[in-house]
Amino acid sequence: MLHIVETHNRLSFSLLVEDMFALRARVFKDRLQWDVHVEDGKEIDVFDAADPLYILSVNDVTGRLEGSVRLLPTTGPNMLRDVFPVLLPDDLVVESPIIWESSRFCVEPDAARLGEGRIHRVTTELLCGLVEVGLRAGLSHIVSVYDARMARIFKASACPAEVIGTPTRIGRVMTYAGLFEISETLLQNIAATQPTRENAELRDDLPALRVA
Amino acid sequence: MPDLEDAFYRVVDILDDETASPESVPDLLRTVCSLYGLNSAAYFGVNVSEQEQGEPYLAVTYSSEWVAHYRIQKFVDIDPVIREGFSSMLPIVWSAYDARSPRLKRFFGEAAEFGVGKRGLTIPIRGRSGDRALFTITSDQNLVDWSGSQRRFERDFQMLAFHLHQRILRARGVERPVPKLAPRELECLKWRAAGKCNWSTAQIMGISAKTVACYLETARVKLDASNTTHAVAKAITYNLFTIAH
Repeated sequence: MLHIVETHNRLSFSLLVEDMFALRARVFKDRLQWDVHVEDGKEIDVFDAADPLYILSVNDVTGRLEGSVRLLPTTGPNMLRDVFPVLLPDDLVVESPIIWESSRFCVEPDAARLGEGRIHRVTTELLCGLVEVGLRAGLSHIVSVYDARMARIFKASACPAEVIGTPTRIGRVMTYAGLFEISETLLQNIAATQPTRENAELRDDLPALRVA
Repeated sequence: MPDLEDAFYRVVDILDDETASPESVPDLLRTVCSLYGLNSAAYFGVNVSEQEQGEPYLAVTYSSEWVAHYRIQKFVDIDPVIREGFSSMLPIVWSAYDARSPRLKRFFGEAAEFGVGKRGLTIPIRGRSGDRALFTITSDQNLVDWSGSQRRFERDFQMLAFHLHQRILRARGVERPVPKLAPRELECLKWRAAGKCNWSTAQIMGISAKTVACYLETARVKLDASNTTHAVAKAITYNLFTIAH
């Protein structure tokens, strides 16, 4: 199931939030070898102190964290504006109350192992969560900075990105900025990438989000 | 049912009219209420003045009786919208609070009695210089009608709230003195913001790690920050990375 965590309810989820920082360290530092700052086994950056919104995916049976993603408004501090403006041509600025930025999308590596060509349930759940949150906030788009690996996942998840700006090699990673248009149709298309049974469970999960 | 598209553009026109004086914000909120068929509307901004610790800015269409009652009862200490809204991103639906405690139920009950409206929606606004605000609309519609209105109004109000916020910032002449950093200091801070260690930053910039540490230190001092992480946070608050590009 999904949990929406903002600053006001972060204390109620403090253990899961710590797990998220550890998961991010394992995924982005250990596995993908991104050049991120890890301390005490946790990957935390300056935007984690900027009152972001997290979507946490937790296993229904074990209660363990299996994936997470972070959202920030583009009208305040965010990664595209403050860290990656190099991705956008000079006159292009993404700053709108109805566009939020997603970052640090990750899935537990143990959970992520699956047969060829299948998209993991947790990936689908997180993507559905992003769109659902977007619908709830009245957003038109979510913008994201991502690499080729995520680009493949978006494509396989029926979640096409409109690439904006100029893809650029940053360090060892080819980096893109892309826009996702938020709609009910997108939500349905993403959910439909799961086999029917899991798809049904996914849909069951969503109404809970509306009151979270 | 108001013509939403017409209402939206009328409000935006008024908001973008530079000749209107800042005192007219409550009038403007009243116009929004009548165009959208609402009970009341409110704007509450912090960090929206030239001084870093300046007074918050408040404009409401609530009755003066409610404003006085709110002050005397010290409701600001329990009002969950104020306590949580400034750090929130998702719009806050007031009815979500009813179940939490009898005290909050009483608070929103009294608000309704004073004509604030039975249903409320508060939209958090976040600006680029540490400025934040809450924009609230309320209604006496029944729950079903209100959920429908909320869905239809939400995007409009996200945009209107931001327009209003920009307008209030302009009217108050918000221009804070921004510390000046050298391009290389900025670049080091930027790579730190991206999570790079000094060694990696050195590789990218083609300078030594010691030099990177030096730039970070001078930047820290200029920004009056307690450590490098704090300096990065301040640089972002001052919008320095974007100005540099």
